[in-house]
Amino acid sequence: MELLHKIDFKDLKAPLFIAWQINSECNLGCLHCCEEAGHSMPDEMNKEEIFNVLEQIVDLKIPYVALSGGEPLLHPNFFEICEFLKDKTSIKVETNGEFIDERIAKKIANLKFRSVQISLDGATPFTHERLRLGGNWEKAVMACKLLIKEGVNTEIVFVPTKFNIQEIGQLIDMAYSLGVYGVYTGKIMRIGRAAQNWRMLCPSEQEYENFFAILNEKIKQYDGKMKIYYYPYDVIEELKYRLEYPAASLLIIPNGKVKLIGPLPFICGDLKKQKLIDVWENYKIGWQNPKVREFAKKVIEQPKLLAESNKWVEL
Amino acid sequence: MELKKFVKIREEKFGAVIFDTLREKVFVTNETGKDILNLLKDGKQIEEIIDILKEKYEKNGDEIRIDVNKFISQLKENGIIT
Ligand SMILES: C[S@@+](CC[C@H](N)C(=O)[O-])C[C@H]1O[C@@H](n2cnc3c(N)ncnc32)[C@H](O)[C@@H]1O
Ligand code: SF4
Repeated sequence: MELLHKIDFKDLKAPLFIAWQINSECNLGCLHCCEEAGHSMPDEMNKEEIFNVLEQIVDLKIPYVALSGGEPLLHPNFFEICEFLKDKTSIKVETNGEFIDERIAKKIANLKFRSVQISLDGATPFTHERLRLGGNWEKAVMACKLLIKEGVNTEIVFVPTKFNIQEIGQLIDMAYSLGVYGVYTGKIMRIGRAAQNWRMLCPSEQEYENFFAILNEKIKQYDGKMKIYYYPYDVIEELKYRLEYPAASLLIIPNGKVKLIGPLPFICGDLKKQKLIDVWENYKIGWQNPKVREFAKKVIEQPKLLAESNKWVEL
Repeated sequence: MELKKFVKIREEKFGAVIFDTLREKVFVTNETGKDILNLLKDGKQIEEIIDILKEKYEKNGDEIRIDVNKFISQLKENGIIT
């Protein structure tokens, strides 16, 4: 018997990972927001529908769930959702950190998350807040401090743009001094508001070259001390790869629809009406659908079409 | 020996999938691998695991011992158990 890495997602009885955008409401208006978050969608899942999905996640032994949004901490049932999943699956929460005070940090610590990821898009307030409209850098940094004090595995996510890309080294040093578990980054995705603001935001090739060089240096510098991870591919390269090797994961959006993958507009199921296990089967078939493959190939040739990713198409 | 924190195991028709959700690494194994993982999870020691598998698979002890030791060292090398 052998311990192997190779896995074909079609052999799995259920997904291994669920990325769940539980809401669309957000207190910020980030210029790069891939979800175009701000206001709630009119048809978001209600509490009963959410708990129906949660029960299925537990029954199917889905090992890993990421809760995101919008701003997930604004969801009225956020803590009940986490309480339900506690000890049954690994939970990661993606947040802008602005609602984490001492009391909330303590509450989060009790939930034993795999991690909390705080978005920090700059080493200085000016840079962070220039991209994250309405955002407050001090609050995001304070959230990291409070969570770390409570023993929560805390990670920082940084999205490079023309505004902040030069601060990556400084940000990593700061992350280390805060005591975070890891720093995650990768190229900005040309979807949602980032697609609309692309010319203003997209770093040049030279800027990316310097960025990755600094990252490689920092990885060496902090080896064994802090995890630094970057995803080296852009969204087009990711799409090419996923056409061959789809991920063993589902992406649930706030209204219960399930997307094939973030950058494509295709919906392979509706959890308000269908069982998770059936949506998983649709997902497997969805990747073979000629409509999907043809559109994906068009997107690969014309990345501008990524701007269509939030205009859903039901399969 | 214990599974590391945030390592999840799910049974599948081919055996089991092991997901280290902290490091975001996925591994797969066959039926025997699945049995060993389940026995480790129940707190069994290597000698007990070997005895149980010897009976289940009606194989000779030496063969099973080599297999179990090899698998366990792979689990350790890959940071799945401590
Ligand atoms: C959509 S947000 C939702 C959670 C929370 N509101 C926050 O900002 O962390 C999830 C993550 O996606 C990142 N993100 C947003 N737009 C992006 C884009 N165009 N490309 C890459 N990452 C993006 C955010 O910075 C954040 O780390
Ligand atoms: S990136 Fe996060 S904080 Fe910013 S607008 Fe989008 S959902 Fe809100």
